[in-house]
Amino acid sequence: MINVDPITYLYTVLLLSMAVNLGIALYGIFYRPSLIKKIIALTIFSDTANTFAIIIGYTRWASPSKPVQPPVLTKLNVTRQDITEFASNAVDPLPQALVLTAIVIGLAVTLFLVFLTLQIYRLYKTTDVREIARLRG
Amino acid sequence: MNGRIIGIVVIVLFITLFSLVIALGGLGYDLPMERVRLIARTYLSIAYNPFNRNYTVMSPEVVTSIVWDFRGLDTLFETVVFYLAIIGSVVLARGLKSSPPEKKIESYGLSLIVKTVTRITIGMIIAIAASIALHGHLTPGGGFQGGAVAAIAPLLVLVIFSRYYLENLGVKKNVMLAIRSIGLLGIGLTGFSVLLIGLFSGVNAYVFQNQPKPGAPVGLPYKFNGALISGTLWFFNLFEMMAVAAGFTIVFLLLSIPERDVLEQLKEEADKH
Repeated sequence: MINVDPITYLYTVLLLSMAVNLGIALYGIFYRPSLIKKIIALTIFSDTANTFAIIIGYTRWASPSKPVQPPVLTKLNVTRQDITEFASNAVDPLPQALVLTAIVIGLAVTLFLVFLTLQIYRLYKTTDVREIARLRG
Repeated sequence: MNGRIIGIVVIVLFITLFSLVIALGGLGYDLPMERVRLIARTYLSIAYNPFNRNYTVMSPEVVTSIVWDFRGLDTLFETVVFYLAIIGSVVLARGLKSSPPEKKIESYGLSLIVKTVTRITIGMIIAIAASIALHGHLTPGGGFQGGAVAAIAPLLVLVIFSRYYLENLGVKKNVMLAIRSIGLLGIGLTGFSVLLIGLFSGVNAYVFQNQPKPGAPVGLPYKFNGALISGTLWFFNLFEMMAVAAGFTIVFLLLSIPERDVLEQLKEEADKH
């Protein structure tokens, strides 16, 4: 019997479920013939990847009564000790900043893809990639 | 059929390997980690640090500090990608116009109850958007989030009233393109502002500089009239909100052109060639 810390165990389950989610999203992107369903699967994929990035930045609580803090300093008249305490308590802000960037780009690209799909539907009356591939001229 | 089997094998392999990497401690044996990485600790301890004026951003919101100061150029290019995606949508819909209204503009849309409630909530939505964007350097939020919230207001009007009502209010594609361009221009000018100050006062300064740095002793003031604005961060958030809100509104306006009009225009275009 291996002795496993319950928090590590639950955390691993969470990460594995996200890996499964990524696989399902990949299946949707590769095998669903409808362009709309491909776009939906793509958003699931990017959301899972973003969640994964944020979870990497999470840290363990120092003790049950001392939870981790979001990366926002809550007072302005700080002493040196406040800043040191804040830096040792807060979660990693870098993944959050990168995810913020990724979300906005993802939103813009999704809008563009939706527009492209709409235009394809208007011109060819279908969003099925098999039929679009068969079109000539 | 062959491709399908290969694809399934690829996906299964992907999941297995990904799980293996996590299980074997590609992210460290202790999950979650005991403490954040060194670079994160550095960011956290210098984002708002009046005792270390050489490196601080003077913004208590560390995420916004990273987005617009420590890694400001990343965000600039991200704004460029966003700009290109919106321009791509505009190009795809070039020349498309909606037909003039056939009946009175007020008679389009949903019932009177929904319209009245929308009129009340739109003011609140804009207020919340402005609060999220303009407090971006103090509380979680910022230009992108504020802009995305602000774009909900024209979307609501579009669905609940009509496209014609929105255009009568002055929210047209070209007006939004102009606001968007002002926002982008503002971001560019703010990025160059400290460099310009440095040029005119004859000292060294950098593009995208915010607070004074070693060797570049100029910067924007971090307080304005007693209120914390964190130098360039406040301006970046304001202009980014304008650009994002106007950009989304353009796409919503283009997506709302009635399908009947689009098909007619596409047909005319095809007949011409």
